[in-house]
Amino acid sequence: MIRRLFAIIVVMACAAGVVAYQVARPAKAPATPRVFVPSPRFFLDFSPSFRTSIADAYYLQMVQYYGEHAKSDGRLDSLPQMVDLVTRLSPHFARAYLFGAFALIDAGRPDVSYMILQRAFKVDPNDYRYPSYLGFFVYHYGKGKTKDLVAARWYQKAASVPGSPTYLPRLAAALLGKGGETEKAILMWGQVYGAGDKYSRQKAVAGIDRILPADKAARMKAVAPLYGTMPKAEFDALIAELFKGYK
Amino acid sequence: MTLATALSVRGLHKTVHVGFRRRPVEILKGVDLAVEPNDVFGLLGPNGAGKTTTVKVALGLMRASSGSVDLGVPGLSHVGYLPENPYFYDYLSGREFLGFCARLFGLDGDARHERVEQLLRDVGLDDAAATHLHKYSKGMLQRIGIAQALVNDPELLLLDEPMTGLDPVGRVEVKRIIEGLHERGKTVMFNSHILGDVHELCTRIAIMRTGRVVWQGSVDEALAESATLEDFFMKVVTA
Amino acid sequence: MNQVVAVTINTFKETIRDRVLAVIVVFALLMIAGGLWLGSISLGEQGRMMKDFGLVALTVFGLIVAVFVAAGLVHKEVEKRTVFILFSKPVSRTAFIAGKFVGLCGTMAVVIAGMGLFLFVLVWIVAGQASGTLLLAVVMIYVQLLAVMAVTILFSTLGSAILAAVLGICVFVAGQLSHNVLALTRLGKNPLTEVLSWVIYVVIPNLSAVDIKAGAVGEQTLAWAQIGLWVAYLLAYLVVALALAAVIFRRKEF
Repeated sequence: MIRRLFAIIVVMACAAGVVAYQVARPAKAPATPRVFVPSPRFFLDFSPSFRTSIADAYYLQMVQYYGEHAKSDGRLDSLPQMVDLVTRLSPHFARAYLFGAFALIDAGRPDVSYMILQRAFKVDPNDYRYPSYLGFFVYHYGKGKTKDLVAARWYQKAASVPGSPTYLPRLAAALLGKGGETEKAILMWGQVYGAGDKYSRQKAVAGIDRILPADKAARMKAVAPLYGTMPKAEFDALIAELFKGYK
Repeated sequence: MTLATALSVRGLHKTVHVGFRRRPVEILKGVDLAVEPNDVFGLLGPNGAGKTTTVKVALGLMRASSGSVDLGVPGLSHVGYLPENPYFYDYLSGREFLGFCARLFGLDGDARHERVEQLLRDVGLDDAAATHLHKYSKGMLQRIGIAQALVNDPELLLLDEPMTGLDPVGRVEVKRIIEGLHERGKTVMFNSHILGDVHELCTRIAIMRTGRVVWQGSVDEALAESATLEDFFMKVVTA
Repeated sequence: MNQVVAVTINTFKETIRDRVLAVIVVFALLMIAGGLWLGSISLGEQGRMMKDFGLVALTVFGLIVAVFVAAGLVHKEVEKRTVFILFSKPVSRTAFIAGKFVGLCGTMAVVIAGMGLFLFVLVWIVAGQASGTLLLAVVMIYVQLLAVMAVTILFSTLGSAILAAVLGICVFVAGQLSHNVLALTRLGKNPLTEVLSWVIYVVIPNLSAVDIKAGAVGEQTLAWAQIGLWVAYLLAYLVVALALAAVIFRRKEF
């Protein structure tokens, strides 16, 4: 009887100790800004059967890591390695590239973001999102006088992908004009006008009008290259709008 | 079927290698045995005499080191065997297990079904036929074991301790089965430590000791030398 | 043929009714369903996460079932002495091995199909991304497990069930890294290690070649002719493994 009582007391004491330890522990381990991220080479040598699964696991870790640090200490030291690892193991994982690209901007690494998106576009040249994001990042975060033109070229590439949205040519045209490539901008706006819908035509007319000189002769010379790039009726309609008010 | 001998064992030696160093141990040291057709043959001997090993070599479960074993029947399809303390498949029912055994002998369809149901009735397990074998008592397992040994209506039946685990009713039923087989001209050889059963059923016996047959003959010949079979057995094994 | 059919049916019934198997399968289904939670923290990649982790869970649990059941198939019969009943009847050792394997194939087909269909329906309902490629990935996992089962049965004829199970798992892991062994053969300067690496490369089944998990999530372009060739290779491999098992088992005494 005493032995049984003793055994019960010992078991209860152990159980109490376990519960007390668990309760006293912090609810969540403190997030460290630097985490160990293996080299992609290590996993690339691993079985091809499990690469995507490993990439998915690190993708989830990457999302959680971003979520823990972006709004707290703002330190995303290991993010570039994580994005690199996930995208090398799973080269067609679009969401990893797109999320990673934006997260890397927050991490203060637009250079890595740029590299990641370029790699993505090389792997998947039929996805317009990569060049359009590149155009966006270059325009917003790029430096130097040529950034508008560089962004414009990315938007042009995005616009050339079949099935891409109709706003991309407009963005390309606007940036070409802003960057000083007037001729190319006018031709680009001509393509936008050729889309046919009322909104595109309005935008195209406004866009061309913005970059055309006021002088009628110079204006006519500037729009002349559009002749032959669209049906004559369209060209005539465009000219009529551009020269409204001119005698 | 007319047989010269039902089972003939000549100069059978069997050596096994045991332990990490593969030490040779001779289990059978020149067994000579002859079971005549229609015999009810009792193979007797103390534990470790080599009775089960002799049967295993006869069935091909073990290979002879030297000597020969001739089954007087054309192959295992005419033999039935019940090992000592048989173990079966836990999650098969009695009916499924006998059906499996019947299928091994090539019985198909209705023939298999009829044979299985007949055997279940013969061993008194028709009520428990759908129960899984892991729920059977020891006696029930022994009965299903006898049933599986009979599924192919064998010419030669080898039974190792067939009465083990059986209640008195079961023992009587098994004895009746053996007697019935004898009346039908079948040959039965069984090992048993219960000399009363041996006296009651056997026509001929052999006594083994330390890997050899030390005596072989009819029960009457044995009883001519001693008052009881027990006395004769003790006399032979302690000689 | 009767003998093979009889042993096959018997093995299927015996293994499919094992309660431990049911527990493992239920646990596997719970793990597959756990992909739902993963999907919820993946920023819109629920379908991909469910497919990928579901297939991994299916592989892992399928491997556990395949290896531990295969390892015990022959060993259990010997330990429990049901071989006495079996081989006192006109059953050849080869028919026994073949029947055991085919019976286990049937059991594994039920297990893998059950888990695969559960995953398929879950992905279809939750993410609307279930496709035929997902089901094909499940079939290819099954083919890999067939080869592992055959090798495990071979090991079980040589030693204990635990050892056979452990070696079966090792063969599965090595089979996923087979291409690394090939790379090793090309690195070695020592002719002996080169030959040894070649032997290991040939002996270890190349399991990753028929794995199309990556294809199920859109990471792999499927070359069907190549995959078909590798499936045929694995089937030939398992025939050789089973033949070796039969040869070894014929020499066994009980």
